[in-house]
Amino acid sequence: MATITCRDFLAYLEPWMEGERPPDAQAHVRTCSHCSGVIKDLEAIHTEAGSWNASEQDAPERVWTALRAQLEQEGLIHDTIPAGEGRTRAAAPSAGWFAGLFPRLPRPVLAGAYLAALVAVAFALSGPVNKRVNEARWLKGTQISTSPLSAQLNFAEQNSNSYVSRSSPVVAASLHQNLAIVDNYIALCEKSVSEDPQNEVARDYLYEAYQQKADLLTQMTERGENVQ
Amino acid sequence: MARTRRIDTGELPEAEAIRLAQQGDAAAFERLYRLHNRRVYSLCLRMVGNTAEAEDLTQEAFLQLFRKIATFRGESAFSTWLHRLAVNVVLMKLRKKSGNESSLEELTEPDEDSGGPRRDFGGPDLRLSGSIDRVNLQRAVEQLPPGYKSVFVLHDVQGYEHNEIAEIMACSIGNSKSQLHKARMRLRELLHEALRAQAREDRKAASAETGGKD
Repeated sequence: MATITCRDFLAYLEPWMEGERPPDAQAHVRTCSHCSGVIKDLEAIHTEAGSWNASEQDAPERVWTALRAQLEQEGLIHDTIPAGEGRTRAAAPSAGWFAGLFPRLPRPVLAGAYLAALVAVAFALSGPVNKRVNEARWLKGTQISTSPLSAQLNFAEQNSNSYVSRSSPVVAASLHQNLAIVDNYIALCEKSVSEDPQNEVARDYLYEAYQQKADLLTQMTERGENVQ
Repeated sequence: MARTRRIDTGELPEAEAIRLAQQGDAAAFERLYRLHNRRVYSLCLRMVGNTAEAEDLTQEAFLQLFRKIATFRGESAFSTWLHRLAVNVVLMKLRKKSGNESSLEELTEPDEDSGGPRRDFGGPDLRLSGSIDRVNLQRAVEQLPPGYKSVFVLHDVQGYEHNEIAEIMACSIGNSKSQLHKARMRLRELLHEALRAQAREDRKAASAETGGKD
């Protein structure tokens, strides 16, 4: 076997670190403390760097907060209803959502406002620690839970369906598709709340999901009215 | 500013989250973010060595991802696609920082004067084994040229294979192997320099102590 020098071994070093061990290179490494030392150094670097992986951490929560705000600002995300479908609305429900219903008050919108109010009241009264209780004090004593709320929404849905049937097939299909998405979202939220009833964030999401359904039913009814 | 709200979307498979995100579904976006933010943030952190910048870069990488998600067709793994975006975001940032618009080739092939690896590995037989720790290796990594750094972090820290790195970095597998080797050799040099500097400091301190006693 031909012997190789340290300079020759340089050409073998990269493949060596990838696992290739030609016999002449092995023979050199066995007898050369310098080259075997270089290999040990490179292996030590590789091993130390590999140990960093275990200490990886999530980015701080503020990164997602800022990212979400940016996505909302650019209109890239919505909670469930695709942008451009019906009335423009903020991606995240806010106080402006409900206020935005009142400048125009045709019958379907009033129905939506009623549904939204019902959602808000139901959550105000059902939460174990909920600031909305004070805001809805005038309704103190009213026993509303999310179960009759779902029933109310289902009833409203039946009415809305009769309105939607008067719309064009394309519009009706789109609205029904959106409704299915909202229903899936509600089911997901209900599951989260049932698994952890004290989780205020999960409850907040469910509240928003019901709001969205109320909003969508309002749109459906509104569309049906417009084609009458 | 949007409130930070989390919903349990933990059971949503990645493929389904991608499909929903392509329709603009906020919960799906969040799911994808939660799935991948750790790796992207770590990559950025290792590349820039600064948490504030790493946060900005992570946000920028995901923003670009979500802007382009409708165009994702699944030709490559989603994580590879995301890492490619993240690496590009980081390299772009580093290029801007260095004040020139160098090509990726220049970022990975520095000349001898700017700190590229020497063509031999002569010099005193200092041994690194036992003297490498997280702090001094991190310091050395920070001194690597950006291209070397990317390949080193992706391979040795994050555990990507060369074929994945080739896809992420838009280079050949051979190029990835070569850059990794050069990165490790350069790190070895930097660590040796640091060891020698430390030895000099120790000698200086010792002689100052001896001189003070005389």
